[in-house]
Amino acid sequence: MFQIVRSTHEGEPSLRLEGDLTIYEVTEAKGTLSAALDQHPSLQLNLSGLEELDTAGVQLLAWLKQEARRRGRTLTLFAHSPAVVEVFDLLQVASLFGDAILIPPAAPSLIAPSAS
Amino acid sequence: MDLDRAKQTYIIEARELLDSMEEALLTVEGMSEPEEPINAMFRAVHTIKGSAGLFGLDGIVHFAHTVESVLDRVRGSGLQLTGELIGLMLECHDHLAQLISDLQSALPETAEVTLAGEGILARLAPYMNGGLAKAAKAQPIEAAPLRREAGAEAPGRDCWHVSIRFSRDVLRNGMDPLSFVRYLATMGEIVHLASIFGNLPEREAFDPEECRLGLEIELDTKAERAAIEDVFEFVRDGSEIRLIPPNAKVEDYIQLIKELPEEDRFLGEILVAGGCLTLHELEEALKVQRQEAYGDGSVQGRMLGTIVIQENAVPPTVVVAALEKQKKYQERQAQELRVVKVSAEKLDRLVDLVGELVIAGASAHAKAGQAGTGSASLLEATVTVNKLVEEIRDNALSLRMVQIGETFNKFRRIVRDVSLELGKAIELEIHGADTELDKTIVEKLSDPLMHIVRNSIDHGIEPVDVRRARGKPESGTLALHASHESGSIIIEVSDDGGGLNKNRILAKAIERGLVKTGANLSDQEIINLIFEPGFSTADAVSNLSGRGVGMDVVRRNIDELRGTIEVETEEGLGTTLRMRLPLTLAIIDGFRVEVAGASYVVPLDVVIECLDLAPFLESEHNHLVNLRGEVLPFLRLREVFQIPGEVPARERVVVIQHGDLRAGIVVDRLMGEFQTVIKPLGKLFKGAKGIGGSTILGTGEVALILDVAQMVQLATERHGPPRNSQASLTESA
Amino acid sequence: MAELIKFSKRQTQILSAAPVERREQYLAFTLGGETLAMDIRAIREVIQFGSITDVPLMPTFIRGVINLRGSVVPVIDLMVRFGRSATAVANRTCIVILELTQGEDTAEMGVMVDNVSEVLSIGESEVEPTPAFGSDIRSEFIAGVAKVEDRFVILLDVNKVLSVDELAALIG
Repeated sequence: MFQIVRSTHEGEPSLRLEGDLTIYEVTEAKGTLSAALDQHPSLQLNLSGLEELDTAGVQLLAWLKQEARRRGRTLTLFAHSPAVVEVFDLLQVASLFGDAILIPPAAPSLIAPSAS
Repeated sequence: MDLDRAKQTYIIEARELLDSMEEALLTVEGMSEPEEPINAMFRAVHTIKGSAGLFGLDGIVHFAHTVESVLDRVRGSGLQLTGELIGLMLECHDHLAQLISDLQSALPETAEVTLAGEGILARLAPYMNGGLAKAAKAQPIEAAPLRREAGAEAPGRDCWHVSIRFSRDVLRNGMDPLSFVRYLATMGEIVHLASIFGNLPEREAFDPEECRLGLEIELDTKAERAAIEDVFEFVRDGSEIRLIPPNAKVEDYIQLIKELPEEDRFLGEILVAGGCLTLHELEEALKVQRQEAYGDGSVQGRMLGTIVIQENAVPPTVVVAALEKQKKYQERQAQELRVVKVSAEKLDRLVDLVGELVIAGASAHAKAGQAGTGSASLLEATVTVNKLVEEIRDNALSLRMVQIGETFNKFRRIVRDVSLELGKAIELEIHGADTELDKTIVEKLSDPLMHIVRNSIDHGIEPVDVRRARGKPESGTLALHASHESGSIIIEVSDDGGGLNKNRILAKAIERGLVKTGANLSDQEIINLIFEPGFSTADAVSNLSGRGVGMDVVRRNIDELRGTIEVETEEGLGTTLRMRLPLTLAIIDGFRVEVAGASYVVPLDVVIECLDLAPFLESEHNHLVNLRGEVLPFLRLREVFQIPGEVPARERVVVIQHGDLRAGIVVDRLMGEFQTVIKPLGKLFKGAKGIGGSTILGTGEVALILDVAQMVQLATERHGPPRNSQASLTESA
Repeated sequence: MAELIKFSKRQTQILSAAPVERREQYLAFTLGGETLAMDIRAIREVIQFGSITDVPLMPTFIRGVINLRGSVVPVIDLMVRFGRSATAVANRTCIVILELTQGEDTAEMGVMVDNVSEVLSIGESEVEPTPAFGSDIRSEFIAGVAKVEDRFVILLDVNKVLSVDELAALIG
């Protein structure tokens, strides 16, 4: 189950991803997110709503990052949920993405980071 | 030219190179100026190695590398090419031949072969300066072992390095690399991990369900290799998993870098980050590569090939271009015959067509002749055409001719090996190696010759002590001799061994029921018994003599080639086997004659001259005439063939020569020279007397080709043995 | 008990009527007045008797060789082969060209016949074993005798008649 919710973040358009981003969702998600990347020169993805992320999901996010560069856009990931953090840690991809990851305190809160 | 064809070319060339290497090894012994064969051997191995590198044939490269190094030392650093080293090099040759053979059959290198190779290399080691040159496993570049800088830290080296490239379908198959990582973490400590998303395509091309994840992991664990491998049991198919144990050498990591598809530097930095290598070690390794790459032009070509191939993205043109470059390099060095390779089938087809052309040309000429007066120009035109056809025919036939030296040379190796095995000393002499004959004949001669040669080695030439006792030189001589003689090719195999023992032959023949006891046989008849089926005097059929097939098979083979074989032997002195074969099986230059309206063909190469018979009849006596002071026996074809009808008033004589015997064949009419295709008569006519085949004339008529040897024999049976040209008429009475 | 037997008899009768019979095709020809036939499978073609080149010193059953489109093919006179006098050449004399495979070798051979008539379709059941008398042709040459419309047709075993090994031995 997966949803994309439009909102803004610090004046810029952002998309909040909710639910699971696994092999079952990635094909559909790719279409929407790729289009979104075309529509917005600078896109922000709010990952706080992601409850589950698998390799396919990470791969998709990595691809989006790469596509952003290829298409001359910027893509920022923020508000990484605990699930996302765990997976990112496991695969050590933090530096690959280059986004700031806030280690959430014991009680997760959705505090938007300041613009990097 | 695709990759497979290029590989096939490589195999063919490698075999030729191996042949020249073997020949060089066998001829170099005892030469006062051995530079040429030594260079030849070195070039052969060098080229085989270089081209193997292009195709990623690491097994061959690995083996050839050391062989090449030793030969290089022989070539440059004054390493002596002793008999022992030659023997070892011959083993190397054989092993390389095995590797090439396996390559052709697409067999992977078995442990057995590898072991054999390592064994040989180990014995080559003493010939290398200070031990075996370190040719790292399956590595085309001879990288000197890099030394660890004192004090440098490389903690990752205490860990297992796990490198994985997952198969594309891993996710679709319901598995998640994340779970593997989590599991690995339970086996120890993941000291370092790097994720590599390789090659994510753009836009539509990207299928998010395909897994393109690779991992490089440093795992600090006490677990055994098997346990680590088991973790990946369910993804082993299709995924690439490489493990490097703790405390591995720098070369092992460098090799991993080479094998992995990503860029060397990129991977190198991961390994440095993981603590497997220090930055310095990485730099050194990359620098060595670059040096090799731009040093020798031919090596660059090889480098290009290996990198490109390891990435599995070989543009065939690149490989082929590099292969071509290698070849040009070799051609510059060697002075070789400029040769074009032609498929044997195409050649046969060409000769067939030429044969048909010859017949059609003759037919056209015949018809032009029949057309009557006023067609002189047509006749002339057909003559012109036929002259050209004759030239084409000669050229086409010469394409099929190969030098018998090629076959003779094969025996060098056998003589050497077998004589060593039997403890005999045998010298092989070859004469007339450039004598040419039809390739089909050469192919079919190979087996019979082999058998004869083996007989000489096994039973003919005596062991050293026996020879000494007989006052003979310790080393026996086996001579192979080829020459042309009056339209045939003569091949002799002679040895100075013990000769054939007539008594033993006779005894054996009686035992085998081939001869009745008390039968009176001449010496030659006794000796010819060896050609009888079921005969073999070898008491112990040594495995070297092979299947113990016997001289009867040899004779049958020679018969099938329309040849003859005879044996001359003298006890204590030696044996000579002489084979007489036609130059070609396909087309014949013939002389047409007529008897009672039917045409017969006499092979032109035996025809000496043609005469009117009449003047000689006055002094004829028992079918012998005086031809300018020489005695000439003759026979009438009409009589020999029992052709009914009246003998015409005027008869003609065709004087022929067979061996050193001359005879005359009397016919009704002489029809002239012509060339035509031989059509064999088939199995049914095997026993036909006096006839050696047939041909189709321009008129469509079938003409029979005379078997001159049999004709002479028939004449002998009727009129007594023909004297040879020396005897005078007065002695004949 | 008796009824049981009757029942089984009827059953067997029904069963035996079932299978379809194999029929082979034979080319019928005359030789010295007799009608003979040979299996059509070995026959390549039939040509008119034309010019033939004699091969000297051969037994008389070898009539000679002919040029068959560039191949030199031997021609056997069957009459002589069967121990009779040579075939007289007449208008309708033909040469039947056979292709025989014996062992590893395949060879073409021609046989002279007085004339060829028709192709007969003969079933297995119509072939009777060779009678001990009635023909002076050697019994091993005969594959069987068939009754076709009131005539008896002798079926030749061409492989035996034209056994290359046997013929070559005869030649020497």
